[in-house]
Amino acid sequence: MNEIDPSVPLRAKRGEEKAFIEIVDFYYPRCLRFARNMLSNDQDAEEAVQDAFVRVHHSFPRFREDARFDPWLFRILANRCRTLLSRGRRHRALIEYGEVPITAAAPEEEYGADWAEEVRVVLDTLPAEQREAFLLRHVEDLSYEDIAALTGVRLSALRMRVKRACDTLRARLTEVEQHDR
Amino acid sequence: MIDDRDELIERVARSLSPLPPNNSRAKAQILAAVRARRARAPRPWTVVLDWMRQPAFSVASAGLLAAAALAIGFVTRGALATLNEPQAPLASSAGATPANPNVTAIPAANTPAVVRAVPVPITFDSPGAKSVAIVGDFNDWDGTAAPLTRFGTNGPWTATVKVMPGRHLYAFMVDGKLVVDPRAPHARDLDYGTDASVLMVNTP
Repeated sequence: MNEIDPSVPLRAKRGEEKAFIEIVDFYYPRCLRFARNMLSNDQDAEEAVQDAFVRVHHSFPRFREDARFDPWLFRILANRCRTLLSRGRRHRALIEYGEVPITAAAPEEEYGADWAEEVRVVLDTLPAEQREAFLLRHVEDLSYEDIAALTGVRLSALRMRVKRACDTLRARLTEVEQHDR
Repeated sequence: MIDDRDELIERVARSLSPLPPNNSRAKAQILAAVRARRARAPRPWTVVLDWMRQPAFSVASAGLLAAAALAIGFVTRGALATLNEPQAPLASSAGATPANPNVTAIPAANTPAVVRAVPVPITFDSPGAKSVAIVGDFNDWDGTAAPLTRFGTNGPWTATVKVMPGRHLYAFMVDGKLVVDPRAPHARDLDYGTDASVLMVNTP
């Protein structure tokens, strides 16, 4: 997994703005990807990411120097996404109103635009906690231990969430593929 | 491949994995928001001093402050019942909205008795510029008062300026030349006869 040099968050914690800019540069795309996949809405995703980075900066005094930065950052970001989801604002608006797909062109070239859209539709039907666990595990490549630390959920429950998410995705997407043939 | 992935889950993960394109404007806004939050968390005893340092601080404002102090004195003496007249606000910008969506007025800390300047994050695109500053009626059009700093090597220019609530005219000083903000409404600056951009700052 691609992590930032551990000295950078420590420098940011000491108040070095240049280090904080390095963190934003390094993590912004990953954070936005996670937020978009969680919220399915560009505007909400950007709001969540901005809020998360502002909170990260504000909370640096509480960041333990021996802790890893990735899980800490994603815990704050996941909390922001949950807050926005609980407000229920604009969720799924992007798909419902047929705006430009929020994933980049690469997967559509590889598997087709319909596939990318079907994945997103099925992902949106998952309960938020399953979607979050699936994305952290299979898209953000965090270990179960890291996810457990950042969500506060027991490992066994977490594995079950990911498994249920995978089962739903398999069932629904296999159905779609069979229907298309 | 991750341990518990089969071929279909691998395809799903790859479909969701492409990273969004780089967005230096969004990153600059994050930095501006961080600076604004840092700027709007003053120690309580500095709030009034900060307000008094604002360019808009005037004799009338000082009179209002004195009136507020007197009112507090009357309250502590049990004279509240005789003071029913509402206090006039310092700025009547209720319902105002920022003129520029990229120049967002951020509410300041709750200080209901004192109207004070609001930190406003500013971003401006000018990749080829060597220096950028924001000038306006809030800093007497002083090109040295509020320089912007570049985000990264080629990113947007950013700064946070403290502005009193209300309507303001401003422009950018780019390498010594005045440039209006292309994303904000324009208005004629009656003092100088040139176009300027409009910034509306809400009361905190």
